[in-house]
Amino acid sequence: MSPLGFSVSGSAAIIFVGIFLAFSSAYTASANGFERVTDAKSAVDEEALERQNTALSLTNATYDAGTDTLTVEAVNEGTTTLDVEAVDLLVDNAYRDDFTVRRAGGDNSTSLWLPGERLHLEVTVTSQPDRIKLVTGPGVAATEVI
Amino acid sequence: MASVSASHLILFIASLVIAAGVAGTFTQGISRLSQGIDDQSLEVSEEVRTDIEVISDAGSPVYNNSSKTVTLLVKNTGTSEIPPDSRFIEILLDGRYRTNVTVTVVDGEAWQPSNVIRLEIGGADLSPGDHRVKLIVNGDEEVFRFRT
Repeated sequence: MSPLGFSVSGSAAIIFVGIFLAFSSAYTASANGFERVTDAKSAVDEEALERQNTALSLTNATYDAGTDTLTVEAVNEGTTTLDVEAVDLLVDNAYRDDFTVRRAGGDNSTSLWLPGERLHLEVTVTSQPDRIKLVTGPGVAATEVI
Repeated sequence: MASVSASHLILFIASLVIAAGVAGTFTQGISRLSQGIDDQSLEVSEEVRTDIEVISDAGSPVYNNSSKTVTLLVKNTGTSEIPPDSRFIEILLDGRYRTNVTVTVVDGEAWQPSNVIRLEIGGADLSPGDHRVKLIVNGDEEVFRFRT
């Protein structure tokens, strides 16, 4: 083979190796990127499904002026298991998480609010509230005028 | 004859140098592109995962007339943690960008999924009537309308 043949095949080999390296890194990056976005989309879809399957109804919201206690009861009417700790209670737009009693399905130690179970909340409120709002973990909410 | 092989050697070396240069530039360009795709995918996945919801009860007063403050409760309903800092939350009150905002996490340390933050928009001075607040976090927009 003549030296010029060496030049051609040598430079072709260098360019080939360069392209190979470049495409292998590009493939890794784009595959990782696509996977990351696909994961995020499926997590959001999962969340949306959970939100669709969540329903609640406020069955009772009463204020006892004698004991300064507001009692709120709600039933999980959906098909998802909700997290008791993720439930937020707003009394006249004030965020309350200092519950004196918090029971789901009659159990005050559980953090699961199962479908069909009744959540019982009691908070100390010093004056008669007008409106309450109960927000579940997925964001589904219910309001009640007292 | 010696001059021929010398010139062949020069051409050989030159072709290798040029090939190395072309391959190097190409690899560098592609690696920059890969880095870009990597960063962009991180950003897009964060954007997709971010979801917020204003849980304040629009039927109860949101605006405090004596302190000129609008207080909103915002729940993280997405699947990623959001920094509870007003730098990451754009707030438009009646179309005007607000910077006088205090952010507090009301039920924990960080604004993780299903945690709630309290946004206090100071210096609001709203006239009686209809108003709207727009929140933008990581590309997720949320509009809350209320009456004073």
